[in-house]
Order: sequence, then structure tokens, then C-alpha cells
Amino acid sequence: MANLIRIPTPLRNLTKNEAEVNVEAGTVGAALEALEKKHGGIKARICDENGNVRRFVNVYVNDEDIRFMQNLETPLKPGDSISIVPAIAGGC
Amino acid sequence: MSRYSRQVLFDPIGPQGQAALGASRVLLVGCGALGSHLAEFCARAGVGTLTIVDRDIVEPGNLQRQGLFTEADAARALPKAVAAEAHLRAINTDVQVTGVVEDFTFRNAEWLAKDASIILDGTDNFETRFLINDLAVKTGKPWVYAGCVSSRATCMPVTPGRSACLRCMLEDQPAAGGENCDTVGVIMPAVLQAVAWASVVTLKILTGNESALFKKMYVSDLWTGERQILEAGTPRADCPCCGKREFPWLEGNRASRAAVLCGRDSVQITPEGTFDFEAARSNIRKAAKITTENEYLIRAEYEGLTLTLYRTGRALVHGTQDEARARAMMGRLT
Repeated sequence: MANLIRIPTPLRNLTKNEAEVNVEAGTVGAALEALEKKHGGIKARICDENGNVRRFVNVYVNDEDIRFMQNLETPLKPGDSISIVPAIAGGC
Repeated sequence: MSRYSRQVLFDPIGPQGQAALGASRVLLVGCGALGSHLAEFCARAGVGTLTIVDRDIVEPGNLQRQGLFTEADAARALPKAVAAEAHLRAINTDVQVTGVVEDFTFRNAEWLAKDASIILDGTDNFETRFLINDLAVKTGKPWVYAGCVSSRATCMPVTPGRSACLRCMLEDQPAAGGENCDTVGVIMPAVLQAVAWASVVTLKILTGNESALFKKMYVSDLWTGERQILEAGTPRADCPCCGKREFPWLEGNRASRAAVLCGRDSVQITPEGTFDFEAARSNIRKAAKITTENEYLIRAEYEGLTLTLYRTGRALVHGTQDEARARAMMGRLT
């Protein structure tokens, strides 16, 4: 059973408008690598040049923030889903 | 019949909840899209006091999504805090409304929040939100983060010590370059979604229904119809703010003197020390063309830029994102 990654609307120009991408991976980091293989360029929008999740992006496994778990080392079970959520600064 | 009867009939609120609302003191930081609608909600719901801090003036381009304001407010170039106060008093005379025409900074934040029972986020930038977060965690007051851009909305209540704070989640102020309302726009339904979430968590907090307050992060895209309710978590032991109790934004270590505003092609300059508004006004009269003048500010055109100068000395230079150019203009004119 694969792992579903939910792509936020601002990044869908990199996934040919796909809202969900299926990968198979053992950790969140590996899942993002697999996502990058399918849709080149997307990882740079999620992670910085050192490979860490960007400060204004939160990544969730099921509904839990990976910053409260093991970050990119957070293990994935088959069927776990990943959500990528960019922070929203607007309000004006 | 009481004006609040429908709200009192709602079982989780009841007469006790309404009385608690009436005794509550709300500090609202920012009165743009989020802030104006949040303010209207607070006034109609019947909070006790509502203090609104905003640094901007009403412009025609605000009217598509911001509540309360009218074309007349924009034509008079009224400060948003002033216009909002007048409209809110007309909506509900029970509520003690105070508009404060100021930038919310580390200098005035603690004083403005000293009596507040809750702090609401009507801002459009993370610098101010991190300042609110420092203030809320330090003083143990709940605050409600809300945001909107494009057709997307988000909200997260922070109850210090019990739920994760903004720094548990984002660690540090995001660098510039994210999407904002000036680069990708915003539609009013996205504003109202964020306001709806922020309003309901505010109701829960102020009516003593805090146990009903889920530790959640709400995210939705109104255009695509997607919605997620994610776990916000509990305070992180290694969080610099709620774990280590470091408050650099509140201590002024992260404050900018000149700030390029949220893609608005404007630079804000805050003066050091005292400011002689009358002297500045007479200089500007000589050198530039004054287009608007009222009891709060003057606005003038100069070398393709528009200067809005408030009595406190705070200036907004429209038409550039170049801090040095804005400073140079201020130097020449004042």
C-alpha cells in the first residue's frame, strides 16, 4: 500500500495539477525524494539547500506535524499519508 | 428581546457565556481584511471592550474584501482604526471600542495588551505575529493566529502552556518571498473562512468553553473545496518561546526600523525618538505637493513617490520597495 502525498495548491504547477501523488517510502525524507523523482523541482520548494524542511512549510504525517516527531526521519507505514502545508502570511 | 438572544439560546454559550463575553477584553492587532471582519464579529457578539490597533489608512483597493469601511472612509483617507471605531460604535453601543492609530511594536505591545483577555491576529505579516506570540506566551494570554491568501485560509488558536505556539510550529520568522495578497491576490471567501474559524475559537475561549477548543490547525482552499484539520500539538520542550522562554521579538531584538510592507510597494519608516510633526509638515508644504490632509496625517506626492506621514512621525512611502530611497526622501522632506 502506497503513501499518498497531498500537494498544496501553490505547488500544483509542479505536479501537472495533481492534488495527490502516490509514492512508496519508509520515511518522510524518502517520500519527498520519491516525489522529486516524479515531479522534478518540487523538493526545493519544500526543503532548503541543506535538505531541512523550509521554515514556512509544515509537513504532516496523517494529521501530526513531523517537527513534533522525527522530522524527515519520521517513519512511514504503508497507507500513511503526508500533507505539505505552506504557512499563510496574508491577512490584508 | 435581548439583542443577544440567539447567541444565548446556543447551548454551549447560554446566559453565563454571554455574561463572560460582556466582561471580556479583546485586543485586535491589525484591521485589514481579517481584522475588520473579526472586529465586526466581536462587536456584534457583545465583547466588553475591543481595542483595535492598525497603522494604515482606508484605500479604495481595500473595499473588495475588507469589512466595515466605505468609499467615504477611503475618500477622506481615514486611518482604519478611526473608521473602524466609528462604524463599530454604530453597530453596538454596549461595546467599548477604542481605535489606536499605531504600528504594533515591541515598544507598545505589552502596554496595549496589559488588560486584554485575548489577542486576535488581524495582521498580514509574520514579524508582527511572532511579536504577538512572544507577548502571549510571556503573559499567558491566549491568542488566535489567522491568515488568508488567494483562496486559502488558515487558523490556529494558541493557549500558552497547553497548546503549541507559533514558534513550536514555525520556529522562526519565514524569510520574505512567500505568497501574499499583493502577489497572488485574495478573495473575500478566503478571508471569511479564516475569520469564521478565528471567531469560533474566540467564542470558545471567551465563554469558558476552552475544553471544546481542539488543539488544531485549520487549513482550507475555498476554491478547490479542500479542507484539512491538522494536529497543532502540545508545547514543545525545545521551543525557544514556550520551552526556553526567550522572547526576542518582544525585547526588540528582531524589530525592523524600516520595513518593506508585504509586497505593497511601500516602505514604512519609524522615527527614532521624538518627532516634530508641525515642522515636518511645513517642510513638506514647501517641497512637495500635499494631496490629502486630515487630523491624523498628511499625504504628499514627491518625485514619483507618495508619502503618508502620521502625526506620530511614522511614514509610509508608497511607490518603492527600496528602503534607502524611502529614507532619502524622508530625510529631504522632514
